[in-house]
Amino acid sequence: MQALDAVMDGLDIETYLLCGSEQEGKDLAIRLGLELGLGQVDVMYCEFDGYGVRVRLRKYVHKPGDPYRWLVPAAEKGGPQ
Amino acid sequence: MKKKRILCVPLDPVHDVGIKIIRNALAERGFDTELLSPDLPLEDVVQRAAQGSYDEILVSRTLGYGVAELLGRFVDLLDAAGVRSRSRVTLGGKAITAELAAELGFDRGFDEHARIEDVVAYLEGLPASSGASAVVKPKPDITAGYSYRVHDARIAAALDEIVDKLLRWTEGKSTPGTRRAQLRAGIFEERDPSRRAALLDRYLAISDPVIADAFRNGLMPKGVRVVSGEELSRLKEMLAGRHQHRPVSLRHAGDRPLFFKFLGSGCPVMDIMHAKVCERWGVDGFLLINPSWEARYEGLLEGTLTHQNDGTVTSGENIRLVRELLEPSTLLTVRAHRGLNTPETVLLAGHAGADMTKIDLVYGSLGAGTDPARLAVDGVEAIRLAAQFTMPFDIPGNDELSGVPAWKTLAGLLINVHLGTRLGARAILKPLFCYGPHIVINRLMEQTFVDYNAAKILALRSIVDCPIWPGEPIAFMTQTEDRVQSATASSFHAALGTALKVDAMTIASTDEAYSRGPICMASRIDSLQGLHESARFMGTASVAPTAAVDAMTADMQRKIADVLDRVRMAPDLPTAIAEGVLGDREDGAYPGTFGKGTVA
Repeated sequence: MQALDAVMDGLDIETYLLCGSEQEGKDLAIRLGLELGLGQVDVMYCEFDGYGVRVRLRKYVHKPGDPYRWLVPAAEKGGPQ
Repeated sequence: MKKKRILCVPLDPVHDVGIKIIRNALAERGFDTELLSPDLPLEDVVQRAAQGSYDEILVSRTLGYGVAELLGRFVDLLDAAGVRSRSRVTLGGKAITAELAAELGFDRGFDEHARIEDVVAYLEGLPASSGASAVVKPKPDITAGYSYRVHDARIAAALDEIVDKLLRWTEGKSTPGTRRAQLRAGIFEERDPSRRAALLDRYLAISDPVIADAFRNGLMPKGVRVVSGEELSRLKEMLAGRHQHRPVSLRHAGDRPLFFKFLGSGCPVMDIMHAKVCERWGVDGFLLINPSWEARYEGLLEGTLTHQNDGTVTSGENIRLVRELLEPSTLLTVRAHRGLNTPETVLLAGHAGADMTKIDLVYGSLGAGTDPARLAVDGVEAIRLAAQFTMPFDIPGNDELSGVPAWKTLAGLLINVHLGTRLGARAILKPLFCYGPHIVINRLMEQTFVDYNAAKILALRSIVDCPIWPGEPIAFMTQTEDRVQSATASSFHAALGTALKVDAMTIASTDEAYSRGPICMASRIDSLQGLHESARFMGTASVAPTAAVDAMTADMQRKIADVLDRVRMAPDLPTAIAEGVLGDREDGAYPGTFGKGTVA
């Protein structure tokens, strides 16, 4: 199984990105999600303070109503358990 | 039995607080303990350990640079002195793990979160507890001890007349909602399959085609599906194998206030997983919130159903599943007032074992979209059903979020309370702890958030003896999508509620202000961590309003009385709501239209 299978619902990433404007910060945040292999992430919070942005990003791994991979016994998922 | 001799060793240059706490706790339990001073050379400690005949040597040390080597050397010296053959050696402290202790040659390791009970169990050779509370918690009753007596004579007279008129107005009237509730009750009781089928036909004849389609053809509304038997059995298997580890209390002392969280992810399986984790974090109860589309349909679905958008589908099976998998002492309340199925929701909730429900004739008509006349008839029947199932009902004052002034909202809450008392049900007042539009526009909280929120509680308390549960959630409209800001706002508001000795509070998650996706588990824990810390910080101390609160409270009480006098002068409550007495267009409140023209 993958560690991501164990994420109950969403994955938040919080960091500080050095940039020149809030828009640049948002663009960087979205690119960060892509570079981390998370695909499209939501920018939940982004505050520019003159030097950069404090951001909170979210990637939903399991949304309500999905088949939850954490509900599948590890033995059925294969891979390292 | 001879108690063990224990040598307590603070193997640290300065700190010996942790080991002192352990030593005192062990001494209280009758162990023969001896405590060394900190900063002794290793050789001196080993000499003391060798000279005394100790059964156990407890060593405390925070892990830091070079410490592992020092601890390893200490164990070697004990070995060389022959101490290990007669004494077990245990290591505890910050950043210590059981694995590290074993690697360094200790018999056992405890981290900084270890409970004294676990240490004692180890020393006495008993199996470690799971950390779960051994005490079975009783289920709390928020309404216990309240008389519902109205203290203010002017307000009592107004409420009596308003309720009299409302009950006269609703007498003999019915709606598709009340008729469906009767049919559902009949279906529950009927054992003969053909007669049950006939009752179901009559039920579906007065339901929306979307609901009838689901029953007759298995065609679910968009985004809704049946939770499979396999999903349910896997969920139950998973929960059977896991238990709370080191449960947390959100109260520093006493048994109030209770803390509630919303459930309503859309999926009962996700709701339960969230609820189980929240229970461990000290949450006392949950509010099951339905989808907004449900409010527009006549009739409710059946089955264990999941839904890909906000709000968990109201069905007997969903409510029963959540109830069954919560701890027995955890409270569950089911929202009923939103939409066209208020009496039926209360019936399903009662049958499924829910503890409480949520009914507000005024907010349901002003902020939640239902026609005032329809909700008056449905609401009265729903409160009768709540009384029948001995389910208290809470009354959320969320009309304030539209811009309705607090005194109008509170007047509406009091009408519901009085109606409940008259019908034999027990109500719970839910004023908001919020930074609502009326407050912002009129700069009522410029100096502090404390006074105006406190004035609402104090005004209500001066009017009626009724439980108070600020919500919904507390700190509404003060929170942003910033995680720390949101958790902090919840914590401060919770400290205020605790100081005001309210009965319960509803707590937001730190993603409550984020509207583009569902609530996540980690965000729920954020705010609970904040509450836990604020409860510990405040302890038995208190948040006090300023002297301005007295004038605010008196003003609030007078304005509530004025509003109730105006409602009293109206022919009936639906007319008063429609005419804007409890919130008008200027306030941002519009009478709802769902179910208009359906009262017969």
